[in-house]
Amino acid sequence: MNMPPRKLLQIEKLVLHFKTSHGVVQAVDSVNFELDTNRAVVILGESGCGKSSLAKAMLRLLPRNVDKYGGSVYLNGEDVMMYDEDEFRRNVRWVGMSLVPQAAMNSLNPVIRVGDQVAEPAMVHLGIRKTEAMTLVRRMFQHVGVPEDFISRYPFELSGGMRQRVALAMALVTSPSLILLDEPTSALDLLTQANIMNVLKRIKHELGTSFILITHDIATSSELADEVAVMYAGQIVEVGHAKDFFPAPLHPYAQMLMASVPRLRSESDPMFITGQPPSLIDLPEGCRFAARCPFRFEKCNEEPPMLGKNGRKVKCWLYE
Amino acid sequence: MAVITHTPSGNVEVKKPRSNSTLLRVSRYVTRRLLVLGVTVVVGVYLTIMIANMGGHVDTIMRNEIADRITQSIAANPAMQQMAPEVRRTLIQERIAAEEKRLGLDTPLAIRSFRYLSNALTLRLGRAINMTSDAGSKQVRLILLERLPATLLLMGVSQLFLFFSSVFLALNLSRHYGNFWDKAVVALSPTSAVPPWFYGIFMILIFAGIFKILPFGGMVDSPPPSNPVDYALNVLKHMLLPAFSLVLSSFFLSIYNYRTFFLIYSSEDYVEMAKAKGLPPGDVERNYILRPTLPTIITNFAFLLIGLWTGATITETVFLWPGLGRTLYHAIGLYDIPVIVGSTIINAYLLAMTVFLLDFIYALVDPRVKVGGN
Repeated sequence: MNMPPRKLLQIEKLVLHFKTSHGVVQAVDSVNFELDTNRAVVILGESGCGKSSLAKAMLRLLPRNVDKYGGSVYLNGEDVMMYDEDEFRRNVRWVGMSLVPQAAMNSLNPVIRVGDQVAEPAMVHLGIRKTEAMTLVRRMFQHVGVPEDFISRYPFELSGGMRQRVALAMALVTSPSLILLDEPTSALDLLTQANIMNVLKRIKHELGTSFILITHDIATSSELADEVAVMYAGQIVEVGHAKDFFPAPLHPYAQMLMASVPRLRSESDPMFITGQPPSLIDLPEGCRFAARCPFRFEKCNEEPPMLGKNGRKVKCWLYE
Repeated sequence: MAVITHTPSGNVEVKKPRSNSTLLRVSRYVTRRLLVLGVTVVVGVYLTIMIANMGGHVDTIMRNEIADRITQSIAANPAMQQMAPEVRRTLIQERIAAEEKRLGLDTPLAIRSFRYLSNALTLRLGRAINMTSDAGSKQVRLILLERLPATLLLMGVSQLFLFFSSVFLALNLSRHYGNFWDKAVVALSPTSAVPPWFYGIFMILIFAGIFKILPFGGMVDSPPPSNPVDYALNVLKHMLLPAFSLVLSSFFLSIYNYRTFFLIYSSEDYVEMAKAKGLPPGDVERNYILRPTLPTIITNFAFLLIGLWTGATITETVFLWPGLGRTLYHAIGLYDIPVIVGSTIINAYLLAMTVFLLDFIYALVDPRVKVGGN
């Protein structure tokens, strides 16, 4: 019915629910957003708000207890949700988009040399021989700052930072136009975090890659972000350009999130948000943030729509 | 000397020069390991000797038996009935002493046990007390060797089939967690609580007793077919029921075990990553599930191979299968200590050798394991 979107990525009404013994977990609940080529969007949110599930839903990495999985994911105008399992594996995974996982520590096979693990997707998806793939791996290692002779090492012989770089090289090796980064730096120390963020910036500049950076680390992510999406209780509550968002977030949750970041040269103490995010099993009617919101009024008992304001979008009745 | 180099990214890497102490480390490890295993084998075999002798009680049984036998044979001998009672008593005493000396019962078990031990450890298995091989030899080595092929055939076929079919089927089930077959295997796994000989009795009842299509027991018809092809088919026919009973009694539990094992390993982060990378499902299974679990699978396989040696005692007995298990069962019944100890020492050596070799195999299949490393 509608024109095929021209964007690199357009997600519409993406839903991922899990079945548990306590009830249905609505981890990703009707998420919409879009992304252009060579842009980086940061998805911000607390632990347990459905950020990682969003990444899994996009790559169709579903656990055994899926209750509901649907919506549309347009990649270069094609709805990849319509693909069957084999088409999805051949055309989306590591070709359309690749993933840098949360814990690179456990995401590398302990008994295969890291060079071989990085080469694998190139051999499978680009159909090249091992020797060619290894040349490619060396180039990727250079890009991310891993010494070339690490190619024949095993994961347990590398430091945490090096493993994360290897994971990054692995995501780059098939040169996908989009890379999903699921908290790529949260297990690392500050210096290594800064190193990796610099590598990401350079790659974006040199290779024209787009990034979706999923994180709760506002300070680190602001380095890379072109756009920001704030996620709360399985939904996206605010979307906007980074340059607009960081100085003045609109959604009360985003405002309080920003106020919770400690600042180096400021008298103000970091704020905290009272209460807890709602359980994704038993979600409240109306606005999901209402219970913790200092600005709540009667209207908040109804679910707010995504409201547009000066090219920004926010899911809050205050901006009606 | 450690050399510190600066990598292009500015990270400091400490490189150790290639260590020439690898040989030293490995040889030190091998020595220590062999020593420990040697002590284990010696203690194990000595305990077996003491247990097989019931801590000396077997000596008493044998002394009584000798006394009985000699008293009766003299009492039954008409030539000796004429003798004066004192003379006859002395004669009996002398003969008993001679027989006890012949069997070595004149030295206390505490001393004899060490002689048994050194003979066992040097594989001088000696002669059986009562048992003979079918060819008529009393040599323990020959008795055991004669029975070995039958056991290797039955156990080899059933255990290897069990191993490969359960690993293969389990891998398949772990891919389809929660489907009908998966649930069926889980539900049927308690069938393994029943021992194989119990299934054996029913199998004999049904297929030999009621339908009369398979033999009750034994390994080959008597007289055996002369044509080698017929002979092989005849053995196969006899082997069907015992092999089936052995497989059936472990089948579902074994699949269930491996299936759970593979399920645990297929939820590792690196397996999910392999799927995310878009690797074909076969590659994921081979390189990301089977390969990291290889040490465990190899261990199971190695112990299975050792298990072939001991045979299945009761199942072989139920099916009158002329294997080592049944021989051991006979030997225990007859207090034939040389046969019991002979069978045990070979098992102990096989076990020690396997454990020793496994350490090196682990180091070959898993790069994280280093022989003699910390």
